[in-house]
Amino acid sequence: MFKYILVRTGFIFVVLIIILSMNFLFLKLAPEYPPANEDQKNSWLVQQYTRGYKDMWLETEDLTILAMREQEIVVPNNAYFRDEESQYRIYAPVPISRQYYIWAYNIITEWDWGVSTRLWVNMPAFTVLATRMPVTLKLNFLALFVYIPLGFGLGILAALKKNKWQDNAISLGVMIFISIPNFVIMTVLVMTFGFQLEWLPRQYPAQYIEGWIQIKALVLPVLGLSFGAIAGLTRLTRAEITEVLTSEFLLLARTKGLTRAQATVRHAMRNSMVPLVPTVIGSFVGLLGGSVVIERIYGIPGTGTVFIQSLTRNAYDYNVILVSTAFYTTIGLIAILLVDMSYGIVDPRIRMGARK
Amino acid sequence: MEDKKQVHEFLSPENFEFVQMGEKIYDKKFETKPIGYFKDAMIRFAKNKTNVFASIILGLVILGSILIPILSTKNAEVQESRLAYLPPRIPVLADWGIADGFKYLDNQVVDLSTIDPETGLGIPATMPIEYIKLDTLENYYTTCNDSTNQSCVGGDNILSVDVNRTHVYVESSSVDAISTYQLLSLSQATEGYIKLDIAQLNLTDENAVFNVYLKPTLFGAWTLVFSTTEAGVFDISPYEALGGVATVNSQIRMELVTTESSDSVYIHSVEVYNNTQEEPVYLATGYNMAHFYKLVTVDEFSGGTWNRYNGQVLAARFYYDAYAYAFGDYTIPALPRSTYDALMIEYADTCTVNWVDPADPNHYTFTEGCPIIEVLGKVGVVVVGDTEYFSYRIVANYGLMNGYDEIPYFLFGTSGTGKDLFKLIWIGTRTSLLLGVLVSAVNIAIGVVYGAISGYYGGNVDLIMQRFSEIVGRIPWLVTLSIFIALYGPGQVALFGVLIISGWIGVAGVTRTQFYRYKGREYVLASRTLGAGDGRLIFRHILPNGIGTIITTSILSIPGVIFTESTLSYLGFGIGHGTTLHIFGLELTGVSIGVLLSDGRNRLLYEPYLTVFPALLISILMITFNMFGNALRDAFNPALRGSE
Repeated sequence: MFKYILVRTGFIFVVLIIILSMNFLFLKLAPEYPPANEDQKNSWLVQQYTRGYKDMWLETEDLTILAMREQEIVVPNNAYFRDEESQYRIYAPVPISRQYYIWAYNIITEWDWGVSTRLWVNMPAFTVLATRMPVTLKLNFLALFVYIPLGFGLGILAALKKNKWQDNAISLGVMIFISIPNFVIMTVLVMTFGFQLEWLPRQYPAQYIEGWIQIKALVLPVLGLSFGAIAGLTRLTRAEITEVLTSEFLLLARTKGLTRAQATVRHAMRNSMVPLVPTVIGSFVGLLGGSVVIERIYGIPGTGTVFIQSLTRNAYDYNVILVSTAFYTTIGLIAILLVDMSYGIVDPRIRMGARK
Repeated sequence: MEDKKQVHEFLSPENFEFVQMGEKIYDKKFETKPIGYFKDAMIRFAKNKTNVFASIILGLVILGSILIPILSTKNAEVQESRLAYLPPRIPVLADWGIADGFKYLDNQVVDLSTIDPETGLGIPATMPIEYIKLDTLENYYTTCNDSTNQSCVGGDNILSVDVNRTHVYVESSSVDAISTYQLLSLSQATEGYIKLDIAQLNLTDENAVFNVYLKPTLFGAWTLVFSTTEAGVFDISPYEALGGVATVNSQIRMELVTTESSDSVYIHSVEVYNNTQEEPVYLATGYNMAHFYKLVTVDEFSGGTWNRYNGQVLAARFYYDAYAYAFGDYTIPALPRSTYDALMIEYADTCTVNWVDPADPNHYTFTEGCPIIEVLGKVGVVVVGDTEYFSYRIVANYGLMNGYDEIPYFLFGTSGTGKDLFKLIWIGTRTSLLLGVLVSAVNIAIGVVYGAISGYYGGNVDLIMQRFSEIVGRIPWLVTLSIFIALYGPGQVALFGVLIISGWIGVAGVTRTQFYRYKGREYVLASRTLGAGDGRLIFRHILPNGIGTIITTSILSIPGVIFTESTLSYLGFGIGHGTTLHIFGLELTGVSIGVLLSDGRNRLLYEPYLTVFPALLISILMITFNMFGNALRDAFNPALRGSE
């Protein structure tokens, strides 16, 4: 068991490193977008130099400077230069492999993910993300607490009332909500309750607005996030419980004299939990991915919005992109790891890491 | 038990005979046709009526997406800004008052000259009365702070000093007796005095003061006549302060002296009264006073702001016939002469000139039925040599000018660019569907080959390929998206990249399972013994047996592709207006349902139909597609029925 956990953790770690490195390398191949403001750009260049991402040298030969001004000598590719009257200051990037090493070293030793170049210029990229994390996590955990009881409840109800009208109604709802993309659901929700009926805020309120509005503003995004997830969980729960309800050990339980309720709660539910618990853990990743779109629609200042903003056309903020994708990837992989392990905890029959 | 025995006893052996008594037994042909794999699936498919119904609707949607863009004569290509945001108008329903093309307008400033004495209701100057649904017309007052709007009456004007400045002036306009900005004129003989109404004076600086200046003569020097540090209504007799003059004809200058930028003075009005009449002879308040001009650069210490505050404007809200308005008469400021001449030739029969004023040869009207209603004159006249170049300023009928014989029915309204939303939606559906099919086809091609190799060879090959696909499958879509966007920018490359990178893994997994299931079967062994190569075994023996599951997985992946595509397009990372997709000779417009929904996002309040209809269509498409896919899976693989 311990060895299995170790191997899985190791594998997940390797995958994480591969994904992050790949992301870093590909983004390095794309054209750079330094800060637009000249002062901020200079400060950024100095930082790049002190961190070792760029080499800096001075060109003091009068003739060379003249030639550079006349553009007879072209400054090396991808380099920045500053004409300082008597000298030419040139910043040129070091090889990507060297940059990669510095990047990884800085993250491991100082948790330094570089600075933002466009969003909050020259702020540490991780700070940019960290200030937005609470909102996103709050929403997603709220959605989790809404969707788990509802999904289980509806699924169990549908299974117990199989092929009656309750089951048919629930199945229809499941079919509808599992199919419609969540941004469509969210847009329609905002339109109906925000704009037409005016019951709830049309947009996520700013932080300084306090009280009741902040709570009311959580309703729509949580609903928008959880509709699809509820439908998925309901369908799975229904399928699992239906299967268990027809099994022989349940018949045995009934013949022993247990009531239908006792048999369902003690035997059917427990056994159907085996595939459900991992699904619930895994669904957190799905919620988090979906919240990118929801945040965008409702104007929520969360990590998803940061990610989308850092991907603004021709103003890409690579360090923020890197740190936010790292955030999503890490959470996703941890969830996968938990899913793998939860099988063994929920169902003792599954022996983890067992050889055939 | 007893009963059964009796039945048995009742059947005596004589009642039985052998079917083939006296016949020779040969191989006989089946009397019924054999039921193959696909036919069997078809029978099972037809049993579930709900799914058949969903499949029929899906079929209709697909048919619609092919036929409607071809058959519809409405415009979905050219921008027509005058037709932007027209509400839905549906033929039969319009007679009942639903979807009749009327649109709600709120917060429209009323033109005070249009107020009807009977009802007391006014309408805005921009909207002719014949288009307004009069029983819905309402007038109400609302606050305004717009110094350029003449209808914005009453309220105060606020004077305040900029940061790091010590004073600010405003002055009434100089010699211009014709307009409302006239000189203040008062004389001692008629007991003339100035009445100054200061609504509020917020001073925090201890040396702050509010001053009023006049000029003793028209071109004299500014002289202080009054100053205060408190609000109130003041009567000012300026004769003494001005050095004993008996009559004053002057501009007025008001000055706020303070070092605090938070200090301000709210001036309500400046009036001049005399004993000859009750009414003020001079009145500046609200809008008039907003046109006192602020002296910007008297010196380096001077500067501030002069703003309207708390004015009131009469506003109207009403429903109006958006279609009649859009297709009605409108002014074209400059119609090129060539266009005019072409129209004159085309409508030679219907357009007859009626002179409005015989003396003015450039102003005439046309008879009814002519696209041009009235010619107001020539503009931009340039004479080069003997030829005269000019354009016409005309009033024209939009419908006739643009070739609409009658006002069209835009079933779902129009988009922000004046295109028919109904046609756009179907074009968008076509794009989404084709993209879905194409991407799925690519995914299937990659997935089947990958899964086949992995499953067929097994062992270390399988192990390595499995690890690889696991790692690729673990990449979140955000990572793929950011890489593609950074390298290629938003557009079709990024869209295809994101859809394909993670799309093939599902198909590969299913194919691999199918290969594991069938590769050990006897018929495969037999074929191999007969000398069949790997290719033959894979494509002729194993793949056809697993094809049912592979097909259903593939079809079930299409709605997923549409889902992702619309989400990315909605976020602005996929395709968009104006782009075209070129795939294998197919040319698709960049409009997809996601793009349309993205357009509607900022118009949720007044144009909800821009969101409702695309949302409805994509919902129907996704629901029916999923039901169809599930039905297909149940039919091909009854063992999986009811599960995920």
